[in-house]
Amino acid sequence: MSAIWKSQFILVVSLFSVAALAEQPNGPTPIFRVTPMRGVDFTLRNSPTQRKYLIETMPGGVAMLDYNNDGLTDIFLVNAGHVRDPMSPGLGFDRHEPAYWNRLYRQNKDGSFADVTEKAGLANAGDTNYGMGVAVGDYDNDGFPDIYVTNYGKNILYHNNGDGTFTDVTAKAGVAAGGWSASAGFFDYDNDGKLDLFVTRYLDWSVEKSKTCGEKQPTYCPPGDFPPIANVLYHNRGDGTFEDVSVASGIAAKKGHGLGVAFADYDGDGFTDVFVANDVTAQFLFHNNGDGTFSEVGLDSGAALTSNGKMLSGMGVAFQDYDNDGLPDLLVTQLPHQPYIAFHNEGHGAFSAQELESGLGALSGKASGWGVGLEDFDNDGWKDAFIMQGHVFDNISFYDGSLHYRDSPLLAMNRKGHFEKGDAGSDVPVAGRGAAFGDLNNDGWIDVLTSSLGEHPRLFQNRGGNLHWLTIILRGKRSNRDGFGARVEVNGQTRFATATGSYLSSNDKRLHFGLGDAETANIEIRWPSGIRQTMKNVKADQFVTIEESVAP
Amino acid sequence: MMHALLWTSLLLQTQTAAPAVPPEAASLLQSGVQAENSNDLDSAIAAFRKAADLAPSSAIAFFRLGDAYMRKGDYVDAIPPLKHAAELNPDAPAIQQSLGFALLASGYASEAIPHFEKINEVGALGIAQLQSGLPADAVANLRAALIKSPNDPDLIFYLSRASAQLSSQSLDNLLASFPDSPRARQAKGQSYFQQKMYAEAEKEYQRALALRPDLPGLRLELGQIYEAQSDWPKAEKEFRQEATTQPGNAEAAYRLGDVLLQEGKMKEAAEELQRSNKLRPDMADTLYSLGRASAATDPATAEQALTRVTELEKQSPLAAQAYLALAGVHRKLGKTDQASRDMQEYRRIQSSLAVAP
Repeated sequence: MSAIWKSQFILVVSLFSVAALAEQPNGPTPIFRVTPMRGVDFTLRNSPTQRKYLIETMPGGVAMLDYNNDGLTDIFLVNAGHVRDPMSPGLGFDRHEPAYWNRLYRQNKDGSFADVTEKAGLANAGDTNYGMGVAVGDYDNDGFPDIYVTNYGKNILYHNNGDGTFTDVTAKAGVAAGGWSASAGFFDYDNDGKLDLFVTRYLDWSVEKSKTCGEKQPTYCPPGDFPPIANVLYHNRGDGTFEDVSVASGIAAKKGHGLGVAFADYDGDGFTDVFVANDVTAQFLFHNNGDGTFSEVGLDSGAALTSNGKMLSGMGVAFQDYDNDGLPDLLVTQLPHQPYIAFHNEGHGAFSAQELESGLGALSGKASGWGVGLEDFDNDGWKDAFIMQGHVFDNISFYDGSLHYRDSPLLAMNRKGHFEKGDAGSDVPVAGRGAAFGDLNNDGWIDVLTSSLGEHPRLFQNRGGNLHWLTIILRGKRSNRDGFGARVEVNGQTRFATATGSYLSSNDKRLHFGLGDAETANIEIRWPSGIRQTMKNVKADQFVTIEESVAP
Repeated sequence: MMHALLWTSLLLQTQTAAPAVPPEAASLLQSGVQAENSNDLDSAIAAFRKAADLAPSSAIAFFRLGDAYMRKGDYVDAIPPLKHAAELNPDAPAIQQSLGFALLASGYASEAIPHFEKINEVGALGIAQLQSGLPADAVANLRAALIKSPNDPDLIFYLSRASAQLSSQSLDNLLASFPDSPRARQAKGQSYFQQKMYAEAEKEYQRALALRPDLPGLRLELGQIYEAQSDWPKAEKEFRQEATTQPGNAEAAYRLGDVLLQEGKMKEAAEELQRSNKLRPDMADTLYSLGRASAATDPATAEQALTRVTELEKQSPLAAQAYLALAGVHRKLGKTDQASRDMQEYRRIQSSLAVAP
């Protein structure tokens, strides 16, 4: 090796080491490695202004899906839009420029990604809209996941044609919603085998109604300064169209400041319930009455307020069982000086706010939490929490020197139902927002794809370990094809099948279980159809596709 | 207060020793009084002025003239005739009182002081002293006035102002005279804390502690700075130290218990809050935190503590919070009817407070 080559090699190595050091704090090996995603050239362009339009601090969603069914998980990233400073009344948000497009990246076999946005027919999407979130689900049961994008403006449903392209079917399907939509999710509320659609809406806002707050420096006005608004429920008719049943179902009877949404059957009655994380309003728990209607029972069930009766600034939410008692619990993220809340499911339809008992109180309070997941990152059999963090105000430090606009994510490791601080593998502060959870590289260890305002998406790739795992892919027959709403129990752990949760984001729909030292697993499934299925001694460390048994 | 006292003064019978007044002047005084009674203050002033011109040594004529100006709200023009009246009859309380009020109302507070002192008008004197930058004297006199009129809202208002000014002045003196003393550091720290300048506040408290580590209260306040930043471990350390050096301090025990609660150390928190409750029983905040800390592990204690909060607080937001927490305890115990009743009470209070979620 010549002297010149040698010195360049040393330079490259030293640069790499500096970069690696910046991402890796001292101490035990972190769970994740923050890795660049080859082929992903995307920036979440939220266009912050001096006018402080509230929308510009709220995006943006990320999704993990396998849109072409090649077994490799692809990613969809929602972009925001161009905001003029000031915006003229009546003027939309310009998204003609490719820099403002949403992007679909197909994963290649070598782990790199290819931008297939234009090829897939997803370019130049939703001009005049300002992008927010994404939901993924196979609403027509054709075996290919469809994509629903939420916006300030009109939402868009993209039907997956199965050939690598999508078609905007919003008008035909009748699911544009309107106003300021935030998170969305597909679920089957009436167990008819067809996925319905729930859309949260944040507040009644427009450029004309916008306000700027702050005494000494302009800043965003609190959501309470704007009227609350109702969420939207669409019933899938099964012919490619949906019916807006928000009023008939009782969903529209409650107005709030909806952001996150998550689904689970919390009371075991066989019907999927809905939790909406509301900002500065009581949280909504919509109990599914099983007859096409819902009753909002947040307050009476103990899932509306903090343990000291305070309103939450609910942002993101996860609805899974964190203490392995078989009942889905809730984890809700919120603003600083307010702990992230664990609503523990006590059974019999009751929750108790256990932000302190769970250990989350001690881990939160200094940052704002957004995207959140309850996933078993170390495969020890207990679901851990990962929370994207970053303040709403880009000038928060001016108002409170102890707070920061940019923060690193929080990893909270679950020690038998009690959360303790973990090492997320990055101390790099970002204005974190969305987070999607799934096994991006099919190694049996859950990764996290995140979004941050004004930045590239970041992949928290799980370093893996020696413990065992099992990932289940549900294939509904009588139930919806995705199996959403199924209750799956593996070696005493329970997951509720859904891709919905977090903040504005959509997770890998495959059901991952950490098995610890166990090399086999016993699986029990209760499908939304009511069919129960059991599998014994399933070998660990594999992806298992389970088709719904036709016999009840 | 000002107007009330002014009008009170006008009701006072004049106690001036009236020298002989020429008949024409007496007649003018009489017509001036009649004009006053008819609310024709301009005519009254003209009559009294003429009377004063005709009887330049009559205190009553000048007093009447000044008094008429005051009735008109013209305190500045009232001052010269009242001053002259006071020169002519310095011992007349009504003249001293009116002159004092006219001066005070015109912003000449320090000039008003001797006139109020002369007649021992402590309420007005206190106000004049407050406005003259003498808060210590003002506090003393306003307190004395409040003994006579305990329900006078104006006196209470001025006393609170004077007390705040006294506090601020004392602090200024402390900072000017002993800028590097531990107490000066503590005071600066408090000021930074109120402005949410936590880093600066912490620095001042640390300097104070370096100088006097044994000073009571320092760690309690430093802990609150950490608490405001949700830095529970540091807050715990300070509160624990305060609670150790001051084992009889119920607040230190409460704050330690509460921060332990925030850290999820429920058992330890409950013990400390029980200790605080023994030191100073029936503090609603302590009992509420005790209820929360005990809810998971000792529902009976939680139920007892939270019920006591509802008894103590009745309609307050804390009572509503206690009912909400009680509902959680009762749900956990399977007492669903009781939980429903708790929620009814919670909703009732919330609705009465008009902050129902």
